[in-house]
Amino acid sequence: MAEFSTSIKDQGNINIVYLKGFLDAHTAPSLENTFSGLVDKGRYQIVVNFKDLAYISSAGLGVFMAFIEKIRENNGDIKLSSMSDKVFNIFDLLGFPLLYEIFKTEEEAVKKFNEIK
Amino acid sequence: MNDSENLKARRNLKALVELSRVINSSLDLEFILNNLLLTCLGKFLTTRGFIALNLNGSLQPRAKKGITDEQFQNFPVIKNKTELQSEQFKEYLTSINILAFDEICSFQECLGIIALGEKLNKAPYSDDDLEFLHTITNIAATAIQNSLMLSELKKTNRILDSRISRLNSLFELSKEFGLFSESTKVARLLVYSVIGQFLVQKFAVVSFEGKNLKILESKFPQDELLNALKNCNTKLITSSISKKEIEADYTDLQKFGIELIVPMQLQGETKGLILLGKRASESEYSEADIEYIYSVGSLAIVSIENQRLFKEALEKQKLEEDLEIAHDIQKNLLPHKIPQFTNFNVVANTVFSKQVGGDYYDVITLDNNNFCIAIADVSGKGVSAALMMANLQAFLKTICKQGMQIDEATGLINDLITENTTEGKFITFFWAIIENDSKQMLYVNAGHNHPLLIRKGKIKKLDKGGIILGVMNTMIPYISERLQLETDDVMILFTDGVSEAMNQKGEEFTDERLEKLSLSLVEKPAKDISDTIQKEVSKFAYGTVQSDDITLMVIKVK
Repeated sequence: MAEFSTSIKDQGNINIVYLKGFLDAHTAPSLENTFSGLVDKGRYQIVVNFKDLAYISSAGLGVFMAFIEKIRENNGDIKLSSMSDKVFNIFDLLGFPLLYEIFKTEEEAVKKFNEIK
Repeated sequence: MNDSENLKARRNLKALVELSRVINSSLDLEFILNNLLLTCLGKFLTTRGFIALNLNGSLQPRAKKGITDEQFQNFPVIKNKTELQSEQFKEYLTSINILAFDEICSFQECLGIIALGEKLNKAPYSDDDLEFLHTITNIAATAIQNSLMLSELKKTNRILDSRISRLNSLFELSKEFGLFSESTKVARLLVYSVIGQFLVQKFAVVSFEGKNLKILESKFPQDELLNALKNCNTKLITSSISKKEIEADYTDLQKFGIELIVPMQLQGETKGLILLGKRASESEYSEADIEYIYSVGSLAIVSIENQRLFKEALEKQKLEEDLEIAHDIQKNLLPHKIPQFTNFNVVANTVFSKQVGGDYYDVITLDNNNFCIAIADVSGKGVSAALMMANLQAFLKTICKQGMQIDEATGLINDLITENTTEGKFITFFWAIIENDSKQMLYVNAGHNHPLLIRKGKIKKLDKGGIILGVMNTMIPYISERLQLETDDVMILFTDGVSEAMNQKGEEFTDERLEKLSLSLVEKPAKDISDTIQKEVSKFAYGTVQSDDITLMVIKVK
């Protein structure tokens, strides 16, 4: 059974969410909980690090769509970083770069948040 | 060949080799076209030129130098080779100061044209020039074709990737939906895979439960959406509805920014709807998109429907268990054996309906000479009715033995029942204390169907008493009536299951029919009277479902 886990690192006002394993219909609710938790705490500046994510399906992508509006309404954003080519290809295929900023590294994504301030 | 011509030829050759090397080293179309154009501009000393390629059936400008975008706006539609020679095209080329062009042809097909402007020295294009241009385009054609094929391949690959990704999603969801998930969880997963696939931010999923609409997920204002949906006969939506159709026929929904409605169907019946707002890409939903959404929706609705049926079955099972318990309680409350007395013959029986109707009767021996008879109908059904019946029996048995006056006792029972029932529940109740030796009877009727006392072909209805039990505390005392019974008197006590039994035409058995029947039976023993009435009632109601208990007590005075 493919496993999936998330972990969160606080970095000032920014939260870095690390994804690991397989993000699909079965595991999407886990990421949903992670985002809900952050939004409930008013943590709207989020960088998602995909370094250890092996696979993402459209249900997983949907979780990003479900939260982005609320987060942007609160002057926050979800920025994406460190995707493998395979994962990036899926994001790219569905046109995510239109809506989300995708960075090569976590540092660049964090820097982008800090620049705006 | 003189030296200068020789030099020129060598320079030309060198240029060709260089071009061939450069453009064949890349598969990037822009790079190839740019290089080709620059080479030609340099070679023929002109400041303007363009390359147009045959794409999607007509000629499209793809690279240009020294020509403005505006000048390309009037680019004529050229669909075949003959149109290249048309006056219209020549006029256009002249208007943007283009003097020469050549077709770029590979072995198989014409890929497009390269066109060049006036030379700086204003000399016309010589035959040599045109021949050299032709050589250049021949070299370029292969590189261009390779590059076009590559981008075509890439495009096909992306379409394939996208198909695979959709199939994966469907496969994944079917696995997930197969588990018995809550319908809200199913709806959420459904939404995630759709909005993730199409980059949608506004959406809703609704399901039909009977006539009701239920919103399972919504990013639109829920109440307003529900109202809007109710106004537009959504149950009749059997195929997907596009943005244009929404604009035309569903203006109420268009206001929310809904651009696509896809029904969720099960065996051809619409059981729910997926409503989607606009895509981040601003593009419309294609046929393939809609098909995917429809597939996901169908998968989800099967799961949602299964879940609903499962719950329904559970509830039904629970209800049946509940009824069984109620039946058990009721049966145990009724006397197993009816005591007999020297001067009275008492027969009583209940035919239970499938649902517990709440009928109760009892015959209680008080002492050597006195006994109590009672009949009651508790409102409501199932366990709650059975428990109320148990309450009544407990009060009755306790109070009977206290030697209280029957009217006063009725008031007390009413108070106790009133305290112990929830609003809207009540009991109709008739009871009597009968003295065996003297054949005297004292009764109180608390709102029960009037028992019949038949003497010498005449009926007296036992109607003295007061209001039904359990509605309010006793304010007006109950009245009792004392009667002297005589030999061959027949008393018939019954519940509304008898008088209100219905036939297939929806007619009731009625009090009149019961009275007439009873009068004809008085000569018979109590058991026969009871059996005959029961038989007549069931004959009357033949072919209908018995909806209430049918209770009958017959007392014959010896």
